[in-house]
Amino acid sequence: MKHKSKIVVGIVAGALTLTACGGGAEPSGDGPGGSITLYTSEPQEKIDEIISAFNEHYPDIGVEVFRAGTGDLTARVETEITAEGSPQADVFLAADVPTFEGYVERDLFLQYTPEDVEALLPEVVDEDGYYVGTRVIPTVIAYNTNSIDAPPASWDELTDPQYLDQLVMPNPDVSGAAAFNAAVWLDHEDLGVEWLTDLAENNPVIADSNGPVAQSVASGAQPVGIVVDYLVRDFAEAGSPIAVSYPAEGVPYVSQPVGIFANTEEEELSQLFVDFLVSAEGQELAVGQAYLPVRDDVGTPEGAPAMEEIELLNPDLEHIASIREDSVATFNELFN
Amino acid sequence: MNSSTNTASRGRGLLRKWQAPSGPVLKRLTASGVPYVRFGVWCSVAALIIVPLTAVVALAISGNRWDTLWTAEIFNAGVNSLVSAGLSAVFAVVIGTVLALLLDRTNLPGRGILRIFLLSPLLVPPFVGAIAWLGLFGPGGQINHFWSQVFGSPLWNMYGGAGVVFLLTVHSYPLAYLIVGAALRRVPGDLEQAAQISGANPWRAVTKITMPLVRPAQISAFTLIAVQNLADFGIPAIIGTPGGYQTLATMIYRYIQSGTVSEPLQVVSTIGALLLLLAIIGVLLEYRASGRSMGLDGPAAPQQTLNLSTWKHVVGFMSWIVGLAITVLPLLALAVQSFLSAPGQPLRWENLTLNSMTRALTANTTIVGAYNSIFLAASAALICGVIGGLVSVLLTRTLSRTNVPLRIVVMLPQAVPGLILAVGWLLIGPSLGLFNTIWLILCAYVMGFIALVVQTVNAPLRSIPVALEEAARISGAGGLRTLITISWRMAMPAIFTGMMLVLLTSVRELTISVLLLAPGSQTLGVAIFNLQQAGDYNAASALSLIVVVLGLFGLSLTIKTKTRS
Repeated sequence: MKHKSKIVVGIVAGALTLTACGGGAEPSGDGPGGSITLYTSEPQEKIDEIISAFNEHYPDIGVEVFRAGTGDLTARVETEITAEGSPQADVFLAADVPTFEGYVERDLFLQYTPEDVEALLPEVVDEDGYYVGTRVIPTVIAYNTNSIDAPPASWDELTDPQYLDQLVMPNPDVSGAAAFNAAVWLDHEDLGVEWLTDLAENNPVIADSNGPVAQSVASGAQPVGIVVDYLVRDFAEAGSPIAVSYPAEGVPYVSQPVGIFANTEEEELSQLFVDFLVSAEGQELAVGQAYLPVRDDVGTPEGAPAMEEIELLNPDLEHIASIREDSVATFNELFN
Repeated sequence: MNSSTNTASRGRGLLRKWQAPSGPVLKRLTASGVPYVRFGVWCSVAALIIVPLTAVVALAISGNRWDTLWTAEIFNAGVNSLVSAGLSAVFAVVIGTVLALLLDRTNLPGRGILRIFLLSPLLVPPFVGAIAWLGLFGPGGQINHFWSQVFGSPLWNMYGGAGVVFLLTVHSYPLAYLIVGAALRRVPGDLEQAAQISGANPWRAVTKITMPLVRPAQISAFTLIAVQNLADFGIPAIIGTPGGYQTLATMIYRYIQSGTVSEPLQVVSTIGALLLLLAIIGVLLEYRASGRSMGLDGPAAPQQTLNLSTWKHVVGFMSWIVGLAITVLPLLALAVQSFLSAPGQPLRWENLTLNSMTRALTANTTIVGAYNSIFLAASAALICGVIGGLVSVLLTRTLSRTNVPLRIVVMLPQAVPGLILAVGWLLIGPSLGLFNTIWLILCAYVMGFIALVVQTVNAPLRSIPVALEEAARISGAGGLRTLITISWRMAMPAIFTGMMLVLLTSVRELTISVLLLAPGSQTLGVAIFNLQQAGDYNAASALSLIVVVLGLFGLSLTIKTKTRS
């Protein structure tokens, strides 16, 4: 038995070195201090970057991140409301407006309008002032440039039998953007349930979230995918054979809104974080992370078309919010 | 090498745990103080084990959601769980038995080193194994990629049921080998000699005489592995789910994490109660099987080495190919994924970078995860050491009517899937004020792993005569003092080993940590799992590779010190 302990010692020693290498910046200075908890569906690496940029301005504000898909986050919030009476986070930064509208109706959010709201695209600012969009995230068609010469140019083309078993898309139970898209597609006069039924005929692989979808397209496992656009740019920049096609009917988009939970004990710190997200600096960072920004004074990411060239679908969000749940059910029925 | 892993001793422990205590006469230590110790131990055991399990069963009964068990979704998942666990356990036992014969009884060339290779899947956490194998047989894996280019279609897409069974088998045959191999070594050589004298050839002697004698060990190995695989979460989540293959473990996770069902806790508790029932049936079956085992005398004659004669090199070559393919190949795939700069790129020198590695190592989540895992593992080891040590001392050094129930209660969590333990703590967490905290994970670890310490300590302690305690009592020491200064001290080395087992098991734990995940309480296993789920396969592979390399580094240290001593 003795040698077992040696293995453990080895592992622990290695892991300790690992921890030591990381180290943490000691907070110092006279700025506002404290700690806030953030629930977000941002990819881990991106949110880590955002927080370290935020901490350069506010080194004494600790931001505790919990990252998961929007579906998982809303489930967590529900559990927390049941167990503890209120959400256990201060700030919520996740996929789509309908989720936020639902929370506003239940009085879960504080009203807050960030500092330079005039500089933001009016479409992403909640008119009642409960939340504000932080990026424009269209869902597009991604394709593997090694396997596909003539990429599909519209949603309609995806129902063509040539794409049987060639498609991959995210699961609306997990991904907020996917749930939102399902509602927008079903609501669209040219697409609707007929199109979605035809799409299901092509037997697409349903991956859990957008990340694995982009991964599958990049690796060529399924050469065509329905996925958020920034991931395609991320992978293309890293060298994967992947490119975007913006479908002719227009693209549904989510704005990754941010809101402050009403039960927060750190209202001011949370406001500082929201301000930072939509500030020119925060948005430049977003552009650097391949996102389309919510203000027009920071440019667009490399490889992305100019904002006015993208045909964005702008349905009535309140209507979308009301049909969202049924749309996800319809989707699951058709695809499972 | 034989006992170099926690799972191994866990295996032999389960075999042992239902047998009546044997060894020296037990001495009654009832005088002053000991009842207080016993009371304290019972209190902590009740709080840590009985309460959460009761919470699961109570909610299952009061929630009254038994109807959901018959929905197609859960019914299919249940069938998938049973089939994948059962099939993989059968395959594991068959492979384990063949290996035991080949490696321990024949003159296979290079069997010493081959044994180390073939046991290595034990050192790799199953979910890391899943990530590694995806690098070969995932839809974009290296072998499939190569095969598509040459033959036009991928060789085997491992997403789905077949992949789950395959990987569960890969990660459980070493345990089967250890259990069956140990039994095989206990079979005396003279029985085979008798058979041969009566005219049987050596192979016939093995198959007709020795193999029936290791059947109880095979049944034990089967039950143990089936129960363990029934509870596995990492493999079905990473390999099964993307292919539409759900097991009860992944369903429970999806219900709780995504709330895709109404009243998720009630439904999950119902599934949990059912699994609890299955686990208890499994343990009882095993108890019956091992109860039938025959006591064998110690070997009077050494076992004969079977001569593979002309087949020696063919079998040797095949074994080495298979051995290397299932151990080294996935690690290579892991390395390739870790160093390739982006998915879909051809494997060329200029496409290799250290980016994923640096990213994985410096990411905030990794650092928090490593810190949490080490903290949790160390704390769990300490607490399990104290409670488990005391339980063992009470079980082996004192006489009490409560000893048998104590042993059963302490051992129970080991037969219960980790997800159910986690659900139990999820249920009682809010009323304890521990909701959404790292302490909940610690409690669940302690609950699950006390048994590791108790098993490790019981056996050596039983074989020490109680004369030392008697001497202490005669010299005037009270009961409590004797218990602490004599019994506890004698148990210390074994307790320490048990604590190391707990440390090793918890530092790479996934199932419990993923369900009890809360802001700031992410463990290393969860960090890897989340990277994989979020689609960052390169970073997930890089982190996995580091975990595996650290494990192998530890092993090589062990071998070095062993050869030196």
